[in-house]
Amino acid sequence: MPHLPLVSHRTSTRIGVIVVGLALAGGTAACGPKSGGGAKAADASPHRGGTLYVLNNQAQEDFDPARLYTSGGGNVPSLVYRTLTTRNRADGAAGSKVVPDLATDTGEPSQNATVWTYHLKDGLTYEDGTPITTADIKYDIERSFAPELSGGAPYLRDWLVGAAGYQGPYKDPKGLSAIQTPDAKTIVFHLNKPEGEFPLLATQTSFAPVPKAKDTGVNYAEHPVSSGPYRVVKNENNGEHLVLVRNPHWSAATDSQRKAYPDTIDVQSGLDQAVIDQRLSAGVGKDADAVTTDTNLGPAELAKITGDKNLASRVGTGHFGYTDYIAFNPKVKPFDNIKVREAIAYAVNRTTVINAQGGSSLNEPATTFLPPQASFGYTPYDPFPAGATGNPAKAKELLKEAGYPNGLTVSLTHDVTKGDEQGPEVATAIQEALKLAGITVKLDGQEHNAFSDKVHDLKTEPGFFLAGWGADWPSGGPFLGPIFDGRQIVSGGSNFNNAQLDDPAVNNEIDAINKITDLKAAAVRWGALDKKIGEQALTVPLYHPVYKRLFGKNIRNVVISDWTGVLDISQVAVK
Amino acid sequence: MTRFLLRRSVQALFVLLALAAVLYAVFYLAPGDPARLACGPKCSVAQVQQVRTQMGLDDPVYAQFWHFLRGIVAGHTYSTGTGALHCPAPCLGQSYRTGELVTSIVGEKLPATASLALGAMVLWLIIGVGTGLVSALRRGGIVERLLTAFTLVGVATPVFITGILLLLVFCAWLQWLPYPSYVPLTDDPQQWAWNLLLPWLALALVEAAKYARLTRSSLLETLAEDHIRTFRAYGVGERAIVRRHALRGALAPVIALSALDLGTIFGGALLTETLFGIPGLGQQLVQSVQLKDLPVIVGIVLVMGLAVVVANALADVLYALADRRVVLR
Repeated sequence: MPHLPLVSHRTSTRIGVIVVGLALAGGTAACGPKSGGGAKAADASPHRGGTLYVLNNQAQEDFDPARLYTSGGGNVPSLVYRTLTTRNRADGAAGSKVVPDLATDTGEPSQNATVWTYHLKDGLTYEDGTPITTADIKYDIERSFAPELSGGAPYLRDWLVGAAGYQGPYKDPKGLSAIQTPDAKTIVFHLNKPEGEFPLLATQTSFAPVPKAKDTGVNYAEHPVSSGPYRVVKNENNGEHLVLVRNPHWSAATDSQRKAYPDTIDVQSGLDQAVIDQRLSAGVGKDADAVTTDTNLGPAELAKITGDKNLASRVGTGHFGYTDYIAFNPKVKPFDNIKVREAIAYAVNRTTVINAQGGSSLNEPATTFLPPQASFGYTPYDPFPAGATGNPAKAKELLKEAGYPNGLTVSLTHDVTKGDEQGPEVATAIQEALKLAGITVKLDGQEHNAFSDKVHDLKTEPGFFLAGWGADWPSGGPFLGPIFDGRQIVSGGSNFNNAQLDDPAVNNEIDAINKITDLKAAAVRWGALDKKIGEQALTVPLYHPVYKRLFGKNIRNVVISDWTGVLDISQVAVK
Repeated sequence: MTRFLLRRSVQALFVLLALAAVLYAVFYLAPGDPARLACGPKCSVAQVQQVRTQMGLDDPVYAQFWHFLRGIVAGHTYSTGTGALHCPAPCLGQSYRTGELVTSIVGEKLPATASLALGAMVLWLIIGVGTGLVSALRRGGIVERLLTAFTLVGVATPVFITGILLLLVFCAWLQWLPYPSYVPLTDDPQQWAWNLLLPWLALALVEAAKYARLTRSSLLETLAEDHIRTFRAYGVGERAIVRRHALRGALAPVIALSALDLGTIFGGALLTETLFGIPGLGQQLVQSVQLKDLPVIVGIVLVMGLAVVVANALADVLYALADRRVVLR
């Protein structure tokens, strides 16, 4: 029996849901040490040659390094664009580390981590053989400020000195004075506050070089100038079909991260998710040399892999730092009362929620806001132990203490998109669980765009809604900052601090951690901060998604890091 | 005939203008801000404003519409940042999202959609009309029952089930056909047809039942009419009656329905396009609606509207040819 098409495998590329979304159009799904078939496939020694096919649902849109919103440089983009630093291409936790790419190191901090200096390696050239200079990196960063090339990550605008009002090199050719290039191989960034995690930001494609003479503005994505192991020979329909071939001027001698085994990489998007799974599972012809970076297994394949070892050995399991949660706005009654929030935290049944989202093989229950990975500073805690299925008795008790002995009625705002992480299935599961605790939940379903507008605008933010958050890089900073930093409460429709928490103690701790350039030491502090905030019941963490994605029969050297959660195309071989 | 075409062309122009005007008018009532969607969820108010200015969304709606109309007549020149991008008349504007010209987006997607729609129509007419004829002429026979059952199953199964089954059987199990990937007709006609065979079939199976039923009832009705009885009384053979006289009248409603369906499929074959990875207008339209990319939405809706208008005019001509009692005015 064939599987039914799924409306809703989770992809990490849902626009407007997560910041990292667009970034990973190249994909996200990683495996930690648990990876099922990944390890086995990695044993067969990889060879150069052949064509790798990537079958995806979401197109690799806006393939301009200034417009791409990537985590760690993206999957497909990182084949074409090298950046100052990049993610370590290794399985599991080791893959969460930042390593040098174009630069000789991950950056030299000075003046309390407000100044970061990078030097380029020797012998770096573009696809046409011309040398890569730091002026070109500065130029791409400046381009990312141009309203013509909107879509990139907002960090540099907030971090660089005097950059807030900059409108890009087309309108303001003088450029950004906060970035200096004293010579062709040195680049210095001046930040307005200490940022110990700057090396992690420098993995994004805005830190790729773009030669000014070759810039074609909004058309650049069609024929970008490659600095990576592949160059673009075809970019049809805004990233729907990309064909990449070897860049003869790339040298493995200057690039320790990308293996670049296949001669050609063909990325076909716009495919139905059920069809992608069917094709990878059947593996007929060219599909034996194919992978997907954005489509999870469907129910049919999930059912099949338990009895089919061959198929099971072709599943890459990965973890991308992401948390789906219930968000509270304590400015709205009765959520101003911590007992009510705690009661909901106790009443939630994570098992039914997870079942509503594809089951336990695609999701892990969450009790912490930070994802369960060391690089985030994960510190296990569960301030309101509800068990796997909830504790309605304890919830009732808390409600009584809160002054609602006869229960209460609340409204839960969610997205009406079927299968969405914030969709009606999850909302209904929560509604049913809370009923057992005497809480009547009215569902307030909103159209996708309307939902996003409503929950991110301070004027319309409801008291109780579904939310999700992914990391722009695997650390506590981009995870806790936007959600709990009081200085990041913003009006006008882009607020993610749902609790509107402005606690000087939290703010000060965030500032203190941002000064730390030792990322391991910083992670410990992020973990402790997460635990401290968690006790305030401003969110109810529900689950962390797990990625399970098929790859073709001939695929070798599957590497899935905890940074992206999906197999890294730069490592894969088809021979 | 000339008068008919002229009148229809003027009518079509007004229909299309009205469509565009309505889209512009209701666009801002729908949730979502195109500037914010293009800028990204974490953009500051100031940044969103910069993008809005860049897109020309600061102007009042009527001014934007006027701008759009002027582009159709006189063309436009847009900035790419580093240079200028000329959009010759008829210019339908520039995508908010990518900066691509709408005419080139439509130009890229239209051949795929047209290939899918026209091919599927040929197939559904063959299957549907053929089944209808057989079942009308062989009433009560085993062939009729089998064909009716077949077409009923076809129409009762949603296209995403039919499609995924066809793929599983022909591409994965039997391996007679490759998993479809769209090849333009101009690149390789043989591969074009080979790759489109399954999508055509999937779409045709869904539509065919409707045509089978219509053909059957319409033919039976015509065969029961007085003039047919008169032919029979004159001793004209049954075969000649059907071929020369009955068919012509019976097919008139089929032609009218095809025209309407063809127009719909031009923008509405989303599921088939997605399932078979055909980069067509339907997929693009849904994506553009999600991103509130008004120029692209208007461009595609205009093409769909034009397809409906042209198909209807064509149907009227064919209708008149099939049934001499109909006069074109």
